[in-house]
Amino acid sequence: MKRIFTRISVLAAFCLLTINVAIAQNITVKGKVIDGGDKTSLPGVTILIKGTQNGTQTDANGNYSISAPANATLVFNFIGYTGQEQAVNNRTTIDVVLASSTQQLEQVVVVGYGTQRKIDVTGAVGAVKGEDISKQASVNPIGALQGKVAGVSITNVGTPGGSPQITIRGTGTIYGKTGPLYVVDGVWYDDINFLNPADIANISILKDASSQSIFGIRAANGVVLVTTVKGKRGDAVINYNGTVGVQKVTNLVEMANASEYATAVNEAYSLLVPPAAPLFANTNLGEGTDWYDQALRNAFVTNHQLSISGGTEKSTYNFSLGYLNQDGIVENNNYKRYTARLSNDFQVFQPLKIGYNVTGAYSKSKDAPTSIFRALYSASPVVPVFNADGSYGDPNAFNLGNGSNVNPQATLDFFNQNTSKYKITGNVYAELKFLQNFTFKTSIGGDFGQEEVRGYVPKYKASNTQQSTNSKLDIDRIENRNWIIENTLTYDKKWNDHSLTVLAGQTAQRNKMYTINAEAMNVPYSSEGDLYLALGDAASRSLIDKGELSTFTSYFARVNYGFKNKYLLNASIRRDGASQFFGSDNVWGNFPSIGAGWVITNEEFMKDQKIFSNLKLRGSWGKVGNAGVPFNPSTQTVDQSAALIAIFGGIPYTGASIRSLVPPQLFWERSAGTDVGLEMGFLNNRLNVEVDYYSRKTEQAIFDIPVLGSLGTVNSSIIANQADIQNRGFEFLATWSDKTEGGLTYSISGNVGINNNKVLNVTSGANPIYKGGAGLTSGYLSTRTVNNRPIGEFFGYQVEGVFQTDAEAAAWPGFKKGDFKFADINGDGVIDLRDRVVLGNPNPKFTYGLNTNFAYKNFDLTLDIQGVADVDVFNANLSNRFGNENYTKDFFDNRWRGAGTSNTYASANLAGGLNNAPNSFYVEKGDYIRLRNIQLGYTLPQAVSSKWKMQKLRVFLNAQNAVNLFGYKGFSPEVGGTPTNAGIDTNVYPLFATYNFGVNVTF
Amino acid sequence: MKKYINIQSYCAAAAFTAVLFMASCKKDFLNVPPQAQQPSVTFWKTPEDALKGVNAIYANLRSWDNVAFNAIAIESTGSDEADKGSTPTDATFFNLFDQFTVTSTQGSLQGFWTGQYQNINLANQVLDNVPNISMDAGLKARYLAEAKFIRAYSYFRLVRAYGNVVLRLNVPKDNSEYNLPQSDKAAVYAQIEKDLTEAASVLPPSYGAADLGRATKGAAVGLHAKVALYQKKWNDVLTYTNQVMGMGYDLFPDFEKGFRTQNENSIESVFEIQAELIPGNADASNSQYSQVQGVAGVMGWGFNTPSAVLASAFETGDPRRDATILFKGETTPQGDLVPISVPNDYYNQKSYVPFSTRVSGFNEGAQQNIRVLRFADILLMNAEAANELDNPTQALSSLNRVRARARGGNASILPNVTTTIKAELRSAIYQERRVELAMENDRYFDVIRQGRGAEVFGPKGWKANKNEVWPIPQTEIDLSGGLLKQNPGYN
Repeated sequence: MKRIFTRISVLAAFCLLTINVAIAQNITVKGKVIDGGDKTSLPGVTILIKGTQNGTQTDANGNYSISAPANATLVFNFIGYTGQEQAVNNRTTIDVVLASSTQQLEQVVVVGYGTQRKIDVTGAVGAVKGEDISKQASVNPIGALQGKVAGVSITNVGTPGGSPQITIRGTGTIYGKTGPLYVVDGVWYDDINFLNPADIANISILKDASSQSIFGIRAANGVVLVTTVKGKRGDAVINYNGTVGVQKVTNLVEMANASEYATAVNEAYSLLVPPAAPLFANTNLGEGTDWYDQALRNAFVTNHQLSISGGTEKSTYNFSLGYLNQDGIVENNNYKRYTARLSNDFQVFQPLKIGYNVTGAYSKSKDAPTSIFRALYSASPVVPVFNADGSYGDPNAFNLGNGSNVNPQATLDFFNQNTSKYKITGNVYAELKFLQNFTFKTSIGGDFGQEEVRGYVPKYKASNTQQSTNSKLDIDRIENRNWIIENTLTYDKKWNDHSLTVLAGQTAQRNKMYTINAEAMNVPYSSEGDLYLALGDAASRSLIDKGELSTFTSYFARVNYGFKNKYLLNASIRRDGASQFFGSDNVWGNFPSIGAGWVITNEEFMKDQKIFSNLKLRGSWGKVGNAGVPFNPSTQTVDQSAALIAIFGGIPYTGASIRSLVPPQLFWERSAGTDVGLEMGFLNNRLNVEVDYYSRKTEQAIFDIPVLGSLGTVNSSIIANQADIQNRGFEFLATWSDKTEGGLTYSISGNVGINNNKVLNVTSGANPIYKGGAGLTSGYLSTRTVNNRPIGEFFGYQVEGVFQTDAEAAAWPGFKKGDFKFADINGDGVIDLRDRVVLGNPNPKFTYGLNTNFAYKNFDLTLDIQGVADVDVFNANLSNRFGNENYTKDFFDNRWRGAGTSNTYASANLAGGLNNAPNSFYVEKGDYIRLRNIQLGYTLPQAVSSKWKMQKLRVFLNAQNAVNLFGYKGFSPEVGGTPTNAGIDTNVYPLFATYNFGVNVTF
Repeated sequence: MKKYINIQSYCAAAAFTAVLFMASCKKDFLNVPPQAQQPSVTFWKTPEDALKGVNAIYANLRSWDNVAFNAIAIESTGSDEADKGSTPTDATFFNLFDQFTVTSTQGSLQGFWTGQYQNINLANQVLDNVPNISMDAGLKARYLAEAKFIRAYSYFRLVRAYGNVVLRLNVPKDNSEYNLPQSDKAAVYAQIEKDLTEAASVLPPSYGAADLGRATKGAAVGLHAKVALYQKKWNDVLTYTNQVMGMGYDLFPDFEKGFRTQNENSIESVFEIQAELIPGNADASNSQYSQVQGVAGVMGWGFNTPSAVLASAFETGDPRRDATILFKGETTPQGDLVPISVPNDYYNQKSYVPFSTRVSGFNEGAQQNIRVLRFADILLMNAEAANELDNPTQALSSLNRVRARARGGNASILPNVTTTIKAELRSAIYQERRVELAMENDRYFDVIRQGRGAEVFGPKGWKANKNEVWPIPQTEIDLSGGLLKQNPGYN
């Protein structure tokens, strides 16, 4: 204890010293800072009195005013510009011209627990500026990253309010969490769809293991660091951003019309064994119902963001409000999100800064029925939406059977489900600088969320199959209560040719999730006020809950050392303890990393060369973990599920037993990754090229061990840490930015990521994991994950042709004319599951993007293209047949309908025999290229805007997903899915394009 | 000066917070117990645990694998009494069983297999763990006997379906006991008989209302008779059936009404799988037995429909035809109109639950019990054994008792069988079994054990020396590393 007090007094003494420095005779210096290129004023430039923390910022017009000692030196800094020092020398006016640092070199990137100059980074970090996100007019911050960063693959979901799926450098896990860790201002999240994209100042994506490793046990899927907008010193700046737009469905699949459908169904019936009588006596039924036309609409979307920021020398603030209202393209579907954010920073005393960020978010969605898109696909065109008497068209009246027994309009009309999400999250921090080189920071963050899904089914009858004999109220509540405390101590020193930063830190986290589900029947509904379980039948009320609780405690340290700006060395270590693995030998894990860089252009021997304006070679290695593995997996637990409730004399009695094997002890998945990168600048850094090679191996990944059915367990497999998964690839990024004599400023940036994914060394051997679909793929499993192959490959029969005659099919039991003819792989004369082969790979090999910006006078244009290549999609919409689902027009036109008509498309009897089993016919190329975003803006001349008391007024037109090119025969090749169920297209939200008109105003 | 103090205290406070926090981070922080899950080491301690464990065995008997598609595929589709049902293009995998083209990789083979072994595991859990619980000795003995009964029942279903199966009589202690070889069919039957004998010696003849549906002595002896029947142990069949016939069982007077929910666990019931629709608990109301066979689009999915062959198998005027088959367009005794616009001509009436009982959010007909063993079956087994043992008088007496009930007092139909010629009487008994037990998953294996598989099912593709059993699931063979051997004729 004595030692601590000693330290504190030393500390305090130094606090004191720093104060003394600031005391001298002051004068007021004023001036304006402008851009050396276009001579426009630069707002937000930081001006510091050298050797102190005292400073200010330029206001919106580039003007500043600072009180400084007459003999002081002012340091002007602005991101993207070369910093400048000006000795005051008793001058009271100092105007400064800052030269653009032709980016990159001086660019600062956010890394774990700090920032680094881009030139000092030894790992692979993708940085995206806030404006590039807000320019997308995207409703989700992550969706806006699509195509922006090499090696980051993003799959959008169309559902309003849905979160896109993000995969960084390939899939490295099968059973663990696949999403990255999001860190927003020091608070950790699994998802950031509560964030208003306009609140984001920048995003860093840590791609390689060495950069991730400071986040340890939860970093294996990559880390996305989000820094939110802070206020700047100066007068209040009011910003308004608004868009109004319309979303239009694109690339719809054309379905068969009523006549075609009836023809195909009759054909299918005639091909059954024994043949069934035609279902339709008359197939001349005209167009019938176009269900997509009936249920889909052009949907409205509007987004408004208002922010007020500013500050004094001692404090800054930023306050923002956001409102999003997005209609779904399917009737009744709507999502609204309200966000409010406040951040405040106070320079309490010179060495002490405190502040907080707080975000409140509320969203409410009127949900779309779960499988409505599948229902629209399979609905029969012969069924009218409504009968002449106003009742719903009933598929049963046409004897269509189970495959197509739904009137989607009735599904929509009687569906009533709302999801509300409330969240309050943020952090408070204190930052203390002492002993000149030390910074101590402590931050306490919290994340409190509540989600409520409320479904109400009224009592109704649309048909025998679509009815509810009773009303039902169903309430799901999910609560999250998370906190995180982080303490870091940084030592920063530059001397002679050396620069050194040392970081040490400690954190603790607690995450609690609690879910409760309750329902009751026969709840009346005269108003929303009736929707309480208490009003339902007492006997019908039920309630069940579950929870998850995990804690982490961690220590970490990092050293960054640079010599002569030429040789760079970074090394870090994190030690994580995770409650999830308590009781095993694996509570604690160590995650080291090391990285080195060589800035070759700073070498003497490079002085005279003219080719490279920058050349840097870097390499790194690190370890990370994935703690997002199934919860409490190592404990054998008692099964007391409702399925074990016994009935005696009509009364339920609790049952419980043990229905699992003693599981192997599970621990987190361990990843180790290496990255080698080359950064090159040419032509005075107008052209920048970055190339990365990476190799990441997840060691001891969780993999299935199938168990004998005769063990009678409830699951057919157990899991253990027993496989390695490898992702290897290249990334290329090239950016060209320039300014022409004529005043055109532009940048063109292209990126490509190439990834190869493979499972290695499964300890339990060749027992594959079969997954993928089942109920969505006619009851069959469509993927296989096995040693030495990519995760989740499509697996099924290889189509060799179509049997043209029964005579030709006679040799194959169970096959007949019009059926697919499959390759008999094992040559036993019978086609069964042993004849399956690999049909395709759902993991995209290439992801790429092309992002451009043009500015000419008052016009600006952004054009982003994005795509994936060398990927396969399983068209489960086509294959998933249990009966008389509708056919696509393409299938109808090309189907086999007699000898010689087709050797690739089967007959209309697609649900018969093995025709609907996974096979090569259903696996299609999923490559696409898309005009992701195009935006044309016009900034009104200052003369005009200032008349309206505005600093800036810009109007723009924006289109997202306006052009999509792909050969795939489904709605969208952008399918997504969990690792062993990826790329299976069924019920996918149809693609839509969004066209917006928007305004930016700054006061 | 004041400023200095402030700063000093700030510095101190900050440093202090950090130090304090680090100190407070004890090891306890990481000690988080499993949430909402009971570790298995805390189970099998109390009499309540024993009861729950026994209850669980009964509950699993109504699982999907035990009563729905997979059971239908294995135990019914191959027969001549049932068709696939639903629309022609729906769930066409049933055709593989109907036409005997099924191969070892077909999923229902594994599903039915696993379903039975799940029952067996639940029984073994009780048999291994309950003996160590200190509790009432009588109750403990009964629990163990109940577990033995269900284990025997599950092995009986397995041995009929697959022949040589893995005989697993204990919960495996470790992974050295996971992979066991198949036992000879005879050894499996011997174990079944052992379990039933032991169960019968303990189980009570009946239960109070709160335990209605648990295995009784009659159930154990009755099932033993059926197991003996499949082994042609005629003396045993006769002994056991005679024993059951002395236990107070009788035929329920109205054949049709005997299958309605209000007459569950009737005087005719020897063993029934209990199911119920429990308001507020759809997960416990999980029997899909009635749903998968219910009138398509109205009360279920419409599979496992009675065949035209079955419809013509009844004697003229036999009321059991109408009670077994729901005809398209008919109005049921409960007043339901089966619409004319349904995809099939016939549906199973024995699994039928009136349409008005439907509650949305629950499986249609979740309340229907599955009649596993009825007294009528006991009588017919008694008749068959008596006839085989050259006692036509007793055979006729038992047989005609069944016919008399079916007749329902209408003297003009179903006259008593009078023949005493052994072969003729045997045929008459076979025929009676066919119509009395129709659509109760009895017919397929019944014909096979009678040795008439080729004769009856041959036209559908059934082949002797192969189709007596279905193939062992391929995955199971693969996972056993080849320890399990495939049945002859299947590869």
